[in-house]
Amino acid sequence: MLYPDTVESEVIVHKPWFITAMFAAILACFLALNLTGTTMGELMRPVIGDPVQSGFYGRFAIAFTIAVIFCLNVVLIGFAPLKLQIAIVWLELLLLFLAFFETFHLSLPFIREKLPFMITQGVVTTLYVSAISIVIASAIAILGAVAKLSTNGFAYAIATFYTSFFRGLPLLMQVYLIYLGLPQLGFVIDAVPAGILALSLCYGAYMTEIFRSGIQSIDRGQWEASRSMGFGFGLTMRKVILPQALPVIIPPTGNQFISMLKDSSLVSVIGVWELMFLARTLGQKTFQHMEMLISAAMLYWIMSICLELIQSRIEHHYARSKVR
Amino acid sequence: MSPDTIIQATNVAKWYGAFQVLKDINLTVRKGERIVICGPSGSGKSTLIRCFNRLEAHQEGDITVTGVVLHDKMRNVASVRRNVGMVFQHFNLFPHMTVLMNCMVGPMWIKGIKPEAAKKTALQFLERVRIPDQANKFPVQLSGGQQQRVAIARSLCMQPAVMLFDEPTSALDPEMVSEVLETMTSLARDGMTMVCVTHEMGFARAVADRVIFMNSGQIIEEGKPHDFFTNPQHERTKLFLSQILKH
Amino acid sequence: MRHFSKLTALAASLAMALAVVPAQAGAVLDRVTAAGALKVATDANWAPQSFMNDKNELDGFDVDVAKEIGKRMGVKVVFVTPGWDIITAGNWAGRWDMHAGSMTPTKKRAEIFDFPAVYYYTPAAVAVHNDSKATKLSDLDGKVVGATTTSTFEAYANQDLVLDAAGAPPFKYEFKPKVVKSYSNSTTAFDDLRLGAGVRLDAVVSSQPSINDAKKAGYPIKQLGEPVFYEPLAVAVERGDPEFKAKIADAVQGMKTDGTLSKLSVKWYGTDYTVVK
Repeated sequence: MLYPDTVESEVIVHKPWFITAMFAAILACFLALNLTGTTMGELMRPVIGDPVQSGFYGRFAIAFTIAVIFCLNVVLIGFAPLKLQIAIVWLELLLLFLAFFETFHLSLPFIREKLPFMITQGVVTTLYVSAISIVIASAIAILGAVAKLSTNGFAYAIATFYTSFFRGLPLLMQVYLIYLGLPQLGFVIDAVPAGILALSLCYGAYMTEIFRSGIQSIDRGQWEASRSMGFGFGLTMRKVILPQALPVIIPPTGNQFISMLKDSSLVSVIGVWELMFLARTLGQKTFQHMEMLISAAMLYWIMSICLELIQSRIEHHYARSKVR
Repeated sequence: MSPDTIIQATNVAKWYGAFQVLKDINLTVRKGERIVICGPSGSGKSTLIRCFNRLEAHQEGDITVTGVVLHDKMRNVASVRRNVGMVFQHFNLFPHMTVLMNCMVGPMWIKGIKPEAAKKTALQFLERVRIPDQANKFPVQLSGGQQQRVAIARSLCMQPAVMLFDEPTSALDPEMVSEVLETMTSLARDGMTMVCVTHEMGFARAVADRVIFMNSGQIIEEGKPHDFFTNPQHERTKLFLSQILKH
Repeated sequence: MRHFSKLTALAASLAMALAVVPAQAGAVLDRVTAAGALKVATDANWAPQSFMNDKNELDGFDVDVAKEIGKRMGVKVVFVTPGWDIITAGNWAGRWDMHAGSMTPTKKRAEIFDFPAVYYYTPAAVAVHNDSKATKLSDLDGKVVGATTTSTFEAYANQDLVLDAAGAPPFKYEFKPKVVKSYSNSTTAFDDLRLGAGVRLDAVVSSQPSINDAKKAGYPIKQLGEPVFYEPLAVAVERGDPEFKAKIADAVQGMKTDGTLSKLSVKWYGTDYTVVK
């Protein structure tokens, strides 16, 4: 929450100037679009007659109707209590999205037929590749952060070179470098390990910065207290600093995980059958790629939502020691 | 050096860059002694006691603590630190652990004491500082005075040879100062060796065996509390005492 | 004939920068025999050669050919689906043994790969509008002909086609157009042709399958005469194992001799593309 004032402000959507401006903007917007040829025109047939023949009158009537409905909707939502407002707006946006997908005339039976395979093969692969990668990336990030904060020139140089290199290169190129380059050194690795390695190294570089700022956010008094009790560096780090840095580290790490879920699609170029690969492949023969792409999009979204929920649970867990 | 010497500093000097914070410090703390170090802010008194458990490094002179010489390349600094308890101005409790855990982790991780035994010791010392009923709370749920008492208990659980106090009451609300001072006084009465950096002159008068006055990194006056307060020798000491005892 | 993406360049230059280590003679064959499995790289996204079928398995002409080769070698076939760029970059490092994915055996590629067998040809043909008065290819002399830019079809129309691929059958130039118009893809060329005979174009040179696809999609066009040249497409292996190469060549030859290959072509294309007519 932003810091709210104790005096209630007027509801902006109930101010006449705002309603007028909103109405005018929407009217202009939909006047610019000619909707007479769409479903909207059909719905307005009783008023404007044949939509195709209705000309500017039809166009205006449609824009006017939409503007009235929209403004009425906004004004009414303005009266509702906060939680209800949130629920209604979510629901409306969701319905708009569904209506948008509806215009693609998707074949639901085809989706239903392919969905199990997309989940058992695609989602599972995407998830385990990402999960293993995020674990390795976190381990790299801790090492990288410690090295970056250390006074050891060797460690510092390696860590800064590493983060600079892997943040500076496109992930796709890293995938190629690892998959094609490592065999030259005698390590022939399969597509999945190569993908995991590329994702880990790339995200480890980003997360090094997250862990570094997390560690730095801890008051130096904690180091001093820990040191004054005789704890060594490892013990201090493991038991004192990192547990306190985690609440700082976890939200951005959650973001990284979500973004990794989607970036893991890049490993499809080396032939890993993850979700994106299947989305592009399954519907191709029968020209139903739109079905597969939208299904995959929804699956990615659902996975992201689940991760967000898990993330907030973890944040909640770590907020424990801050409750008064 | 006599066997009951706990801390011995000889000709200690320290610089922050070009700025000299400690100049030619000579100080001996014997077993059971209670020493109060006072002085204006920036006089180097905190820095000095932080040198005693090597939170800070000194550049010249020698510091010997419990028979171990502190220097740059020492490998056994932890063995010194476990014998030297330190209480900080800002408590520095571990906020992600309960009060009880704060007191248990030192003995468990450093001395390898079993959790049950560590818990017993911890409760005993929490009792000692009179807050056993808060054992399962987190530090943020406690008042400043209670937190500082937990910090004292945490150090005591390590059963140190000497306790260092670095302005333990400076960050407290006025009404909480006395509860912390009472705890410290009772410690002193039980014969704990203590080195306290504090401005609490009442405490110094009642408890200290010696009061040390520092200015600009030097010890400029040292004496029994009675002599120190009633008959200060140095002009700087007189000025300082007149300022803090004025109100 | 497959599009050459920017990534191919990237991957290829990467592989070139790193030294190419050729396979040891007999090594690949030994590995395949020992494992009892032939690892075949192919595309999962290129119907009808190779794609995912209703059972979510790889299927298609290339896939069937690969399976048949495995069967004749007495090993089972395992498919992997790396990107085209990764395959053509070479340096497979034993990740897979053979590529069955309609590769044109150009001289440039022959530096990295051996091509044990050409297993089918894509015929290039000439399409005209249904109303066209042309009855034979030589009628197109001095006319306006369209083709996809930088394709072999455009080169043919310009009479400077170099088919350096091993196994490419000889061809001759059947007509000499006045103007050759270039298009970004064959569809736009067909779109111009459908406007009418001689409106913008008199003819389009393209692959026979895409001409057939356009006809099926309702374009008022027809093929004129016989295919003008054939582009060979081959199975690829890494250089350096002649024994393995010979085994595959034997298998494909066997499929040609007993008609299996033709049957597969008819199954997937409706025509026999495995021989030059």
